[in-house]
Amino acid sequence: MSSLPSPPRNGLSLDGYAVALALILALLVRLNLLPPIKW
Amino acid sequence: MATTALAPARPETMVRRTTALVPGLLLLAAVGYAGKFIEQSIAAYTKAHHTTFPNIEYVLWAIVIGLVIANTFGVPRVFQAGVATYEFWLKAGIVLLGSRFLLGDVLHLGGISLLLVAIAITLSLTFMHLLGRAFKLNPKLTSLLAVGSSICGVSAIIAAKPAIDADDEDASYAIAAILALGAISLFTFPLIGHSLHLSDKAYGLWAGLAVDNTAEATAAGALYSDAAGKVAVLAKTTRNALIGFIVLGYALYWSSRGQAHVVGNKAAFLWSKFPKFVLGFLLISLLATLGFFAKPQLASLANLSRWAFLLTFAGVGLRTSLRELVKQGWRPFAVGAIGELFIALLTLGLVYGADLSLRL
Repeated sequence: MSSLPSPPRNGLSLDGYAVALALILALLVRLNLLPPIKW
Repeated sequence: MATTALAPARPETMVRRTTALVPGLLLLAAVGYAGKFIEQSIAAYTKAHHTTFPNIEYVLWAIVIGLVIANTFGVPRVFQAGVATYEFWLKAGIVLLGSRFLLGDVLHLGGISLLLVAIAITLSLTFMHLLGRAFKLNPKLTSLLAVGSSICGVSAIIAAKPAIDADDEDASYAIAAILALGAISLFTFPLIGHSLHLSDKAYGLWAGLAVDNTAEATAAGALYSDAAGKVAVLAKTTRNALIGFIVLGYALYWSSRGQAHVVGNKAAFLWSKFPKFVLGFLLISLLATLGFFAKPQLASLANLSRWAFLLTFAGVGLRTSLRELVKQGWRPFAVGAIGELFIALLTLGLVYGADLSLRL
């Protein structure tokens, strides 16, 4: 392990971006703006 | 899980950074999809030829393919930034998974998890410190190993490192040991679960309480069954929510000994260490409970979560370097391994007890 990830200083954290993406996707699904997602 | 910050950047820098992620993202998708393709191909072949073959989930295929690539050819530099996004997909996947839980279930299972986590953490922290002393490890390395194995693997170590002013080398050792043990648990936990005939809920709770890193806990749960994977994520998320309290405890301990800086505002400290994706998970679960989504929409959200986890599992294999594990030396690994075994047995006993008395 050569380098360690640095803790948040300024700007949005990884968690913030992940939550934002998930909420945007949930909204798009709710508004039927995305086709049904298959697995 | 590591916590990284994305500082505001100029548009051209943002475009360059985003472009740099593309090769690694494509590699994650290729490895994950290869795992899914192999699982489906084997299932189709056995069905067509009326033969039986044990069902090996795409999770394991994706991890194994990633492990083979990482430890034979290695992951070239051009792919590394994109591969590192696997934690981002893990967190987004967990938030979307909230749609598959009614808030009542979250509170019920989360409450049981919280109780078991509190017992397990207290006992495992004590045990790890005794073990560290017996193996004559540096006390701060022992603290990092204790935090990593009792709470949340890598992210807990990264959160604790600056708080207790530990060395980079100690943190690297602790992370390598936790990752190695996480990889081992992927192969051993499902076997033990099946041999003990654990229910999906009991197994999921056990995996969520005992496997350190969130990605590995999610994978270990999913390797058993879909339902077990769901419960493992919930139990692990409950554990993650406690990171701040444990790290604060350690920071206060080391600063009282004059070996770490003093913690000023404790509420701000707790908030800074709190994993924010837990709030996203709860919000989506609340929306699902309130009937905000129709049934087909819930199915779409669950599938989006699966796709996000597929990228995560590919990343778990691709970032596990056996060379790094050999380099770390045997003592931190031995302390981690004995501690993990203790925690696995302890949590298994707790889950058994909870299953009998609280009816999971």
